[in-house]
Amino acid sequence: MMINEIAQKVMGGGRVDRAEAIELYRHAPTHLLGHLADAIRARKHPGRIVTYIIDRNVNYTNVCVARCNFCAFYRPVGSSEGYVLGFEEIFTKIDETIAVGGNQLLLQGGHNPDLPIAWYEDLFRSVKARYPTFKLHALSPPEVLHISRLNEIPVPQVIERLIAAGLDSIPGGGAEILVDRVRKLLNCYGKASSDEWLDVMRHAHVAGLRTTATMMYGTVETDEERIEHLMRLREVQDETGGFTAFITWSYQPEHTERGGTEATGVDYLRTLALARIVLDNFDNLQASWVTQGGKVGQLSLAYGANDMGSVMIEENVVRAAGASYCMDELEIVVNIEDAGFIPKRRNMHYEVLGDPIFRERDVPRMLSLATARAGGDSSVPEELQNYPARSRRAKQQRASIGD
Amino acid sequence: MNTAAPFDRLMDLVSAGDPLSAGDLSQLASTPDILPLGMLADVVRRRLHGTQVTYLRVALCAFDKLFTDAVLPAAREVRITGTPGTLDGAVTAVEAARAVAGERAVSGFSWMDVEKLAGQAGTSAALVLERLRSAGLDAVAELPMDRIDNLAEVLDRLVAARFQHVRLTIDKSPAAARTALVLHAAELQTRFACIQALSPLPTALNAMRPTTGYDDVKTVAIARLAAPNIPSIQVDWLRYGPKLAQVALTFGADDVDNVTAADDAPDGTRRAPLEDVRRNIKAAGFEPAERDGRFALIA
Ligand code: SF4
Repeated sequence: MMINEIAQKVMGGGRVDRAEAIELYRHAPTHLLGHLADAIRARKHPGRIVTYIIDRNVNYTNVCVARCNFCAFYRPVGSSEGYVLGFEEIFTKIDETIAVGGNQLLLQGGHNPDLPIAWYEDLFRSVKARYPTFKLHALSPPEVLHISRLNEIPVPQVIERLIAAGLDSIPGGGAEILVDRVRKLLNCYGKASSDEWLDVMRHAHVAGLRTTATMMYGTVETDEERIEHLMRLREVQDETGGFTAFITWSYQPEHTERGGTEATGVDYLRTLALARIVLDNFDNLQASWVTQGGKVGQLSLAYGANDMGSVMIEENVVRAAGASYCMDELEIVVNIEDAGFIPKRRNMHYEVLGDPIFRERDVPRMLSLATARAGGDSSVPEELQNYPARSRRAKQQRASIGD
Repeated sequence: MNTAAPFDRLMDLVSAGDPLSAGDLSQLASTPDILPLGMLADVVRRRLHGTQVTYLRVALCAFDKLFTDAVLPAAREVRITGTPGTLDGAVTAVEAARAVAGERAVSGFSWMDVEKLAGQAGTSAALVLERLRSAGLDAVAELPMDRIDNLAEVLDRLVAARFQHVRLTIDKSPAAARTALVLHAAELQTRFACIQALSPLPTALNAMRPTTGYDDVKTVAIARLAAPNIPSIQVDWLRYGPKLAQVALTFGADDVDNVTAADDAPDGTRRAPLEDVRRNIKAAGFEPAERDGRFALIA
């Protein structure tokens, strides 16, 4: 099919197949891709509302056995730079989040062999006991798999136990590109194959959780493999309807083992627009201003995005790989309004909660991102002594707590 | 593109090479619908430049520093930064830059600097221009339209002092005021025909109140549409960064100014060297072509 015919099909509400998607991605002018994506965005969100969430992206540990070669965040077991956050540290972060109007933590971390499932359950329970209405958007599919393998408990039961402890929803991290050839080259096949990642999401949806889906592009994958990724997500969404949103971002190469260069801003806008066209059964597309910067982040709203993601209070993962953009609620709102949209706060189910919080009450401005831990802080949380460790170093550390 | 009929009319106009009216431009500037604007600007830029995007590698050097240290062989223009306190100091800086630049273009100073130097030396701006030109200055680096009261007079003096390839800039005027400035420049171009490029994004950046992505691409597109008789619409790579500069190419810009001449990335990871400029231009769907400081392509 010619580009014009495919464009007409999309404008008429038709679904594109693989061949049509690749034709658009490779050959459609960027403005046309944007126009098609924008038309779908307008159809799904006719009120010109653009949402965002106030939450905090907390990385509870950076110790990881997966060793993905695109990751600049993890530290191997035994590293003197490895950390696990204490429950009290996490409570403090929650207090700070609530102070700026937040209602959720996005809690993700490395695959730490020294954290048994009981640690997660106790953490979730203690958060819920202290902050009953606060939401936990936590543990991407590879982390769920890691907990399943480490504790020898099947994935559905892991999910069930975590829900019982307070898990509210699952973030779509760790998807990278859902094609096993790519995953093997990125050394992330071991943490989760494509099927395993999708299966965790299926189980989560069956268990009643809503989740997001992501795509990290710009490493070794072909255009066809990016489209394969989108198609696989579309299939699962047809089955379960459990994905709330899709978020894509470009690989951030700095300080990673893989190295290389970052895909460009136009690549990002084209990929976002294509995702909007292919993922016709996803309601929400987030702009990744954290990786693209505020300007291209805002321009995303013309290329299919209807959500500005999170007012980031803290970010550790892409920052470790070189991205260091920061926007607080005021800036997010200014950017949304400047683009001719109406800003609304939302929760993780994409339900509108209200107008910007800073227009309702005074909130402190945040001009820089917080980190998981202050530099040089190598303290070991006391409660870790209640949990059995696997690695020699963690065993020694825990034995010496309180000495 | 919810205003299909007006859009088609505008598309017919720009496709035929006809200018848009001030009314049409101000309406386009006031809508948040940036994609139709980008499509219109892209038609003009392709008519003028096809798929080519030029870029210029610049060595920036403070007037009181050693030019030999700052000017790398890869630079195609030496740009003096800062303002000497006296006309003699300015002439000395230009001579030093010229000695290092060889055949390459030397630019520097702003129109306000020229006026200040004239006041300090008790002479006219025309004479200051004459001395700087004779010392080897090829271009006044910043001619901010929003800070020059009588642009016609300034262009007249520049032409009289044998400055070719004039490049107009904007200091910090708000987006709403920029369309009128560009229209005025286009009108003067019909008289003077000396304006080679227009750099429509503000050169004075406010860290606490940065321009937005929408602002920037609209400004670039409106400039392209409002001044079809000015050859190049520029975007500053160093100031605006690869991502915005690249997207601006799809909104009517055809020239990337101020690319660092260094091979490493001394200005941070998001200010990339030569390969990244070329990669960004190609990824936006254009053909990169290096030019020199006098707007001539480098073979
Ligand atoms: S991306 Fe996640 S799983 Fe992979 S090494 Fe980094 S922390 Fe570990």
